[in-house]
Amino acid sequence: MLKVHDLRAGYGKSEVLRGISFEVNRGEVVTIVGVNGAGKSTTLKTLCGVVRAQSGRITFDGADISNRPANEIVERGLTMIPEGRQLFPFLTVKDNLLMGAYKKAARSTVAKRYEEVLEMFPRVRERLAQHAGSLSGGEQQMVAIARGMMASPKLLIFDEPSLGLSPLLVEMMFEIIEKITAQGITVLIVEQNVFHTLKLADRGYVLENGEISLSGTGQELLDSDHVRRAYLGM
Amino acid sequence: MIPNLRHPRTYVSLLVLSLLVLVPLAFNSPFVYHLFVLICVYGALATAWNLVGGYAGQMSLGHAVFYGVGSYTAVLMTINFGVSPWIGMFVGAAVSAVLAVAISYPTLRLRGPFFALVTIAMLEVVKLLVVHQGNWTGGSAGLSVPLNIGLPWMIFREKLPYLLIAFGFLLATLWVAWYVRQSRLGFYLVAVREREDAAQAVGVNTTRVKIIAAVISAILTSMVGSFHAMYLTFIEPSAAFSLELSIQVAMFALIGGLGSVAGPLAGTVLVLPVAELARGWLSSLGSGTHGFIYGVILVVVVLTMPRGIVGQFGNRVRGLVDRLPRLGTITEPKVTSQLHHVARPPQGEPILKAEHLKKNFGGLKATDDVSLTLHSGEILGVIGPNGAGKTTVFNQLSGFIRPDSGSVTIAGDGGGWLSPASPNAFARAGVGRTFQIAQPFSGLSVLENIMLGAFMHTKSRAEAEQIAREVADLTDLSALLGTEAKSMTVGGLKRLEVARALATRPKVLLLDEVMAGLNPSDVEKAIAMVRRIRDSGVSVLLIEHLMQATMALSDRILVIHTGQVLTSGSPQEVVTNTEVIQAYLGKGYESAKPGAGGSERQDRATKTDAIRVQDGKGYQSAQSA
Amino acid sequence: MDIFLQLIVNGLLLGGAYAIISIGLTLIFGVVRVVNFAHGELLMIGMYAVFLASQQLGWHPYVSAIPVALMLFVTGAVIQRFVIQPLLKADPHIQIFATVGVSTALLNLGLLIFGADVRQISPGFGAESFQLGELSIVSGQLVTFLMAIALVGGLHVFLQRTYVGRAFRAVSQHRYAASLMGVNVDRMYVYAFGLGAACVGLAAALLSTQYPVFPTVGSYFTLTAFVVVVLGGMGSLYGALIGALLIGLVDSLAGYYISPDLKEVVYFVIFILILVVRPTGLLGLGRGSE
Repeated sequence: MLKVHDLRAGYGKSEVLRGISFEVNRGEVVTIVGVNGAGKSTTLKTLCGVVRAQSGRITFDGADISNRPANEIVERGLTMIPEGRQLFPFLTVKDNLLMGAYKKAARSTVAKRYEEVLEMFPRVRERLAQHAGSLSGGEQQMVAIARGMMASPKLLIFDEPSLGLSPLLVEMMFEIIEKITAQGITVLIVEQNVFHTLKLADRGYVLENGEISLSGTGQELLDSDHVRRAYLGM
Repeated sequence: MIPNLRHPRTYVSLLVLSLLVLVPLAFNSPFVYHLFVLICVYGALATAWNLVGGYAGQMSLGHAVFYGVGSYTAVLMTINFGVSPWIGMFVGAAVSAVLAVAISYPTLRLRGPFFALVTIAMLEVVKLLVVHQGNWTGGSAGLSVPLNIGLPWMIFREKLPYLLIAFGFLLATLWVAWYVRQSRLGFYLVAVREREDAAQAVGVNTTRVKIIAAVISAILTSMVGSFHAMYLTFIEPSAAFSLELSIQVAMFALIGGLGSVAGPLAGTVLVLPVAELARGWLSSLGSGTHGFIYGVILVVVVLTMPRGIVGQFGNRVRGLVDRLPRLGTITEPKVTSQLHHVARPPQGEPILKAEHLKKNFGGLKATDDVSLTLHSGEILGVIGPNGAGKTTVFNQLSGFIRPDSGSVTIAGDGGGWLSPASPNAFARAGVGRTFQIAQPFSGLSVLENIMLGAFMHTKSRAEAEQIAREVADLTDLSALLGTEAKSMTVGGLKRLEVARALATRPKVLLLDEVMAGLNPSDVEKAIAMVRRIRDSGVSVLLIEHLMQATMALSDRILVIHTGQVLTSGSPQEVVTNTEVIQAYLGKGYESAKPGAGGSERQDRATKTDAIRVQDGKGYQSAQSA
Repeated sequence: MDIFLQLIVNGLLLGGAYAIISIGLTLIFGVVRVVNFAHGELLMIGMYAVFLASQQLGWHPYVSAIPVALMLFVTGAVIQRFVIQPLLKADPHIQIFATVGVSTALLNLGLLIFGADVRQISPGFGAESFQLGELSIVSGQLVTFLMAIALVGGLHVFLQRTYVGRAFRAVSQHRYAASLMGVNVDRMYVYAFGLGAACVGLAAALLSTQYPVFPTVGSYFTLTAFVVVVLGGMGSLYGALIGALLIGLVDSLAGYYISPDLKEVVYFVIFILILVVRPTGLLGLGRGSE
């Protein structure tokens, strides 16, 4: 479904991604793990058209989406739930969700989708009329995920969903992500919380210094000495 | 005080400046004289404006108010009291200085366009009042300067004396701009412009710094205004207090390059003659020509080289100039470090006390009766769920938020207790802090960033630099000293936050999630760093989500939940407390109760391992689910 | 008492004129987060267009309202696309200078083309006044007043109910997040700036029945518009309406009871106080402290 081939990208003169290749197949949960500064967020931003690719190719559903404008990529069915939630703080929760269905393909079925999403997130339903900025961190993360779901994406990308959340909320977050994957939505997750993520994922890639250094199933990576030493501190 | 004349940059600058007098002497035409007087006047005005607009980053579009006050005061003193403008201009400067304080004090909080709007409104108000007070200001018709020719009256038949005086004003203004730029005040102004909070945290009294800049700028502007009035021999409110003039002056500075010493003059030299010549040549087209040209040039410059001429070409020119020989040998002043030694209470004594802190935001009780004590030489960990109010407490401990009730006191050097009133006073009382989201002065190098902290105890650049280098050593930043802060990684920025705070030589260091977003090996390094800091005698309070670090470092842990202290105690007491587990740690930690016994430190180590194992269990049980 | 009542009515009607000018300014600031110092020059362009349409084609200003609004939509969109958009990520002071530069250039261009003469249309309807009991009301002022209220209502519905309107609000709060929702942020800015400018076009047509046009007519109104918008809270539509009515009243009452040449001092002082004491505006709707 998503194929990335020899992607290079960076900011100004510094090259962050030095030719990475990976793929996500339909129905899979794939994770990219790596240390801070390895290029995880840059990878996602390049996928979403926020950062320019210097070379390489990104294809989604067979179409080349490298360096297409962000809005076109969203229209094609690739939605990212960004790091740090990034809600519209002075919009109501309801308007935040409706913004999630902004893309033209989602507008016609918005009413039905809205109900489905609220079904999944009962906590969010209680907060519909409130400004998103007034919610607690955990609630905001739920709204962020619900907003992403509103687009009925083919591929949902999570960027560091556990960042800044207390341990209890991290657990809840991963339960929700499991629920989403159970619905058959293809998911790509970037995380530092290596244990939870590798457990959840069908396959994973390890990103180091802008290059893919390891790949395999979640279990293989968990068992790998390299991962255990470098990321799990064992 | 005096730039080093042997340095190529200095003598080349002086040679170039002298052209402003030599060129008109060579042409000897009234128009060329006039043009160069204008260049000197506008160059001086733009340089003075740059102190506020460029150095301090306050976009004043009402600077003509000081120019007008200078003009009117000098002229009125001459007319009414027969006082020479040489004296009158100082009276005008005094009035302008007072006005600058009156304008800048209430408007300090305002930024960008809002500050610009207020300055425009102030200008309009003063202009309207001058018009309204027609009986002594001459109203909208204006005033003529009595034509007493002679040096005491600043009125001459020839143009040359005017040019020499204008050139003198320009030189004086440039010298002030240069002197401020390389002083501690210059550093502080940049810090205030870039990040006011971070500047406060290193002890900069931002209010004072901005007002000083505003006053210096107003005085210079006003004196140039006095001279210009004598040169024009006629003043009227619409010209003296004109928005157009304010914009022109700011525009020259911008085109030349904001914040640099040479920029405003460079901008004036390049743009003013073009527009003046156009006014002459194209006058047949209509009266808007030169204004139109100004507008177009401004838009084009802003779009193509927003950092101005100096920003664009400055480095190249400096490089060329630096290749020229130095005249004679230059002896670098030797730095003798007399590093300030901070008196600290003996180990284990209270060093910071918060008592019954309460803070409400709207209806939300963000802090609801929190008391805590930090002891000398201690590391106190603060944990709590998101939104529990940790950062609010933290901001009260560093003075960034004032509690609604309750107090924060810090042990003073003499044994008494201090209760500082502002963030910068907290910093000077010995409380250093970091910001959760790193706040580097991004245009400055890592070294300069740390120096800003060091300036709290010294005015000397050399000494500040030395302190900065020592701190960089402690925080693994020595290899990055020359890097611009904006190109650092997250890990580097977090260490820079710590370094800058350390450079203020704090008694107490408040760390707000300095490990969030770091990778495991960086976390190990950061833990070691915090230990080194504590071992150097600094007491540490840290907020951290990363339990591994909190457990490993803390002597005591304080748990905050819904704005209150839930419990506090040794790390193992806290993690085994049922309430804490419920509120914060989650079910994964429940079975991780370590056995009793062993030394404290060993216990802590066991605990960290237990958590890791527990993480593994969590993963396994999830797998089987 | 009669004179007082008349002053109140005059003040409110004048407030309508201030409102119609301020709506575009607050809309542009609210969405694009740029303070448009060239706002007054847009009004000047609009008023000259209305004047030319009246002089050359014999159109009543109200007839030219729509074409002039369209023309200004394009002008605004062009300014946004070619001047503001490249500077969106630049420092605020760079944006200030950009719009100040546009303002200076346009103002002087007006001076170059039309000279400094003051020109007035005599439109018939809109300029004459009628009696309502003891009160004398200028028809054009009443029309302007009603149009201002209608425009605020219409824009409100647009912002709340439509996808584009919601996207305007989303973009103003969080550019990056909006782009992740599939919003073409740059295009939204162009639309918003265009729409704000179009409001000024409408204002130009409505005001041309009562005010003459000259190159610096914009400066005359812009400062007032800034006062209004800051008073009501930068970025707030309702705030602009209420702020405009208040300033209209101040203008009318201070002009009569204090002194005509000091009425501006009064509202500039209000303006300064608001910015200093409560930068979010009287109703706390704006975000002036940002």
